[in-house]
Amino acid sequence: MGKINENTRSEVKEIVYKFFSEECEVDVSTISENTNIITDLEGDSLMFLELIEIFKKKYSLNIELKTIAKYIIRHPVETIGQLVDTQMLMIEHENNLVNL
Amino acid sequence: MNNRILITGLNMITSLGLDLESSWANIVAGKNGVKPISLIDTEGLQTRIAGQVPDSFEAYSAGFVKKRMADQTTRVTKMCYVCAREAVRKSLIEFDNFDRQRCAVVLGVVNTANNSAEKGTTSKNRILKGMNNAMSAWISLEYKLLGPNFTVTSACASSAYAIGIGYDMIRSGAFDIVITGGADSLINREDIEGFNELYALSVNNDPGKASAPFSADRDGFVIGEGAGIMILESEKSALRRNAKVYAELAGYSLTSEGYNIMAPMKDGEGICHTIMSALKNSAVKPEEVDYINAHGTSTMLNDLYETMAIKKVFGERAYRIPVSSTKSMIGHTVGAAGVIEGIVTVMSIADGVIPPTINLKKNDQELDLDYVPNVARRMDVNCAISNSFAFGGHNATLVFKKYM
Repeated sequence: MGKINENTRSEVKEIVYKFFSEECEVDVSTISENTNIITDLEGDSLMFLELIEIFKKKYSLNIELKTIAKYIIRHPVETIGQLVDTQMLMIEHENNLVNL
Repeated sequence: MNNRILITGLNMITSLGLDLESSWANIVAGKNGVKPISLIDTEGLQTRIAGQVPDSFEAYSAGFVKKRMADQTTRVTKMCYVCAREAVRKSLIEFDNFDRQRCAVVLGVVNTANNSAEKGTTSKNRILKGMNNAMSAWISLEYKLLGPNFTVTSACASSAYAIGIGYDMIRSGAFDIVITGGADSLINREDIEGFNELYALSVNNDPGKASAPFSADRDGFVIGEGAGIMILESEKSALRRNAKVYAELAGYSLTSEGYNIMAPMKDGEGICHTIMSALKNSAVKPEEVDYINAHGTSTMLNDLYETMAIKKVFGERAYRIPVSSTKSMIGHTVGAAGVIEGIVTVMSIADGVIPPTINLKKNDQELDLDYVPNVARRMDVNCAISNSFAFGGHNATLVFKKYM
């Protein structure tokens, strides 16, 4: 808790967009909230795990992978926008994510 | 049921070229693809030469393999994937026009070569790089195929086994297309030391002499590496899309020797049984065979026993059938050998030319067949066989015919 400020969402968004742009070799301008990670970017599930590690380090998050997995089962992430939203919730709620 | 199995796509990556056309042209020309190893530091190794795929593969593969995949795959997996991409492209297969549940991938793979030769190896992606089903999985993913994709492992006969299994899958009527083949590399310190310990590798480091199948001065095989893809398609499907047909896969035989983990059964009895079974399964008479692409490893026992087996199967006619070893030019590509040599056999039918056995300079009194020494031969080939034999007693013979 308390790790969110007015700049956090834009920071998260920038990291996510840059990550997918580099890993999928696409121009960042072609990525939007509605971009599908699998069908549009040919991404894979490992990318989500790699991003989790990036955000855990950057925001010193206390969150277990099983917590995230439980949340994702109930709230699947398919688009870049959903991914940014999920990362924001992780930062905001950490292990309490499971109770959402 | 008349369900003939046709070969409608081919490609190979070898030490003599990064595609079918260049590899085949150099094989017909009798070029030697064995050179000093540059992939790894060979300091202290007994064997320092191999049939290594050209260094230009790395730049070539970048045109096919995206960053994400590149990070998750080994060099050998990339070879197989690139090889398959080009085979599919040249076959003009449009999978959108197929029922993808009737399209499969079956590869012969010993391992993905996730070893010390792999540049920049870290623990990251270790599992994805090392899983033995990686090659078939990546090909299946590329084309979103929904039939099975899996890997067969039987050492040096692996990709020949894959081709045989692919044949049965189409023959059963359940599949229209099976992408078969495989890729392999033993160019790493662990494997070279391991095979040296078994006295299996040549310790002659002269590339012009080391891989010398059927020659009196042979002293073991030379390591090779590469990939091969053979697309098998039902006749009905191939005719429907007016596909180019290279040849027909008439049948095959897979056998076990039940004899020894490393040595072939004495006097070539197991090899003889395999060839005879393959001909019988293919409804081909021995007198119909025009060419034999031998396993021909350049080891003492294999070349002797394979020769003895050919004499037993073909009798007096054995002396008039051209027999050649592709390994003399590209070394032993192990898991990929069955498919690469199968492709060479198919091309001998398609182009009417029999590739030579190079480095055949000293006659061995016991080896007295026509090994097509050093120079290719123009000849109409209607039927040819390709042999693969492996540690563990895994034998395979594939039978190919001109499609008429």
